[in-house]
Amino acid sequence: MFGAFRFTNPLSGGLLWKIPWRLSRFQKYRHRKRLQAVDNVVATVDAALAKQGETLKQLERWKAEMPTEAEMLPRDKYTMFDRKAKRYRKGIHKLPKWTRVSQRLNPPGY
Amino acid sequence: MSWFRITLHRSAIGLPERTRGVLAALGLRRRSQVVFHPVSPQFAGMIMKVKELVRVEEVARPLSRAEVKAERTPERGFWLERRGTGGLEAGKEGEKVGEL
Repeated sequence: MFGAFRFTNPLSGGLLWKIPWRLSRFQKYRHRKRLQAVDNVVATVDAALAKQGETLKQLERWKAEMPTEAEMLPRDKYTMFDRKAKRYRKGIHKLPKWTRVSQRLNPPGY
Repeated sequence: MSWFRITLHRSAIGLPERTRGVLAALGLRRRSQVVFHPVSPQFAGMIMKVKELVRVEEVARPLSRAEVKAERTPERGFWLERRGTGGLEAGKEGEKVGEL
């Protein structure tokens, strides 16, 4: 029961990844900065195209559907829908490649 | 005519082939690399595909590779002042002697 042969989760075999269930406040800060950076790119592209009188279907759709960082609720910023998780929410950092993909929308009602 | 100044900020390692293909089409091979493309819906669409990975600015003209490098190069930290002939006047202003 004690020492090297105690039955703790990491020792009872298999791979146990210890990903904290929530983000630290520094992770949340950097995540907000990343969201703002994406908003900046979209705004720049939109302004540049608008000057030439052009537009883009993809861009219009993004502007119509996606909330900006400031408009997002904290709950959508830092967590996402998961049908298998308790209360249908898990930390956004559980999403593979979460620092390099846009995950802003969740099913209505969840 | 204005241009997009596109900098690859985040690597595309581990991202789908489509995403890496878009970066290749933009001519971005390594992080911090800068490329210039004219403002047009075609290039705007490509930027939208990789918006999480790049930083974009709108600029009036594309810079040459030498100009981009010059932007990145820090000050040399010393100045060569002219010696002799003019006495104190020659080097009084801490005048910069270009590219010796």
